[in-house]
Amino acid sequence: MAVKLTCKVKVKNQLGLHTRPAAAIVKMLQPLKSSVYFTYKSETINARSIMSILMLAARKNSQIVVSVEGEDAEAAMRIMVRAFEEQFGEK
Amino acid sequence: MYLVQNLYEQHGKDLGLEIIAGRKGLSRRIQKAEVHRPGLSLAGFLKKFASARLLIFGRNEIDYLRQLDEKVRFERLQSILTPSTPAVIVTHFRPPKELLQICEGKSIPLFRAKSTATSLLSRITFLLLEEFSPGITLHGTLVELFGVGVLIQGESSVGKSEAALGLIERGHRFVSDDVVRLKKKENHLIGSGPELTRHLMEIRGIGIINVAHLYGAVCVRPDKQLDIVIKLEEWDDQHFYDRVGLDEKFIDILGSSVPYHVLPVKPGRDVVLLVETIALNHRLKDMGYNSAKEFNAKLLDTIAQKQRKRTIK
Repeated sequence: MAVKLTCKVKVKNQLGLHTRPAAAIVKMLQPLKSSVYFTYKSETINARSIMSILMLAARKNSQIVVSVEGEDAEAAMRIMVRAFEEQFGEK
Repeated sequence: MYLVQNLYEQHGKDLGLEIIAGRKGLSRRIQKAEVHRPGLSLAGFLKKFASARLLIFGRNEIDYLRQLDEKVRFERLQSILTPSTPAVIVTHFRPPKELLQICEGKSIPLFRAKSTATSLLSRITFLLLEEFSPGITLHGTLVELFGVGVLIQGESSVGKSEAALGLIERGHRFVSDDVVRLKKKENHLIGSGPELTRHLMEIRGIGIINVAHLYGAVCVRPDKQLDIVIKLEEWDDQHFYDRVGLDEKFIDILGSSVPYHVLPVKPGRDVVLLVETIALNHRLKDMGYNSAKEFNAKLLDTIAQKQRKRTIK
């Protein structure tokens, strides 16, 4: 059954959401089935697209609303929240 | 939200605006895409006075104010400069000192401009209408083929960017990859890419490339009117795809209906050529020739002729 979840996360990376974190997000989402969207400053984008994530140009400490919809929504949300928390392995 | 500051920063130079008072009020909000020359309102007629409009004082207004009594002048100005007035622009005449005083006191930005009030009025109205027109951000790739604006949509990794790359290689123009911002202007939808990722494209296995640098300035353009939407889809044997093209499908975007095609992809189908063909066919239809309908008419005619011959026999 398709579940829809939303959660607010914070960008913790010093340089913001730049190319490497964007690539990491897309990579993490590849095996998942759910649709994942980011909303930042009234702009909603598909998180599977690197160009869209880069377009947001989200700096450090900006708030991003992650919304996930699909059969593995819970797992996808868990992965997203943890990834933002761990700064996409960039510290 | 559009602020006076945005207007000043983005277009101040082009419009020749110079701020002379009320700098503190730059963060005032422009609520309406309307500009007003306060002729009658200055004469004291304030019935239905829309206070949220940007005000322009031209030669007439200034001359009229000059011949008023000092006290009346102050009162009249006081009554039209309300808390919701976004800003005031005076064309190249010296503003009365009362205007400066009130603008400074109420923190309403007061600008001086070099051009005439009429031209300023139309230019600012145009800019504001553009800024206030409804917009939407869509996922897809926008290209221009034979002058036709085509938005290629579809799931991630279906091959939108690859199709666009193929089209560029054939001499068509690229507008934006992945993120397309559409704005409604009059009855048209104008699509463009975000400033930051302009002319960039992401190709799986290669990475981010700059199309303008790779293929040259001739292959890109900043914006394009949207004419058709093509949705690329993985080929599904169960699905019945359009085989004749007699029925046209449309998709609603911001209240405009845009011709919509679903294009199934599978190995061996040349997507680039197919997209080109759809665009060309669209041009032909625009010129008043619909291949499918034209053929159908010819077919019906032939059948009718046969029928007639038979009855004569």
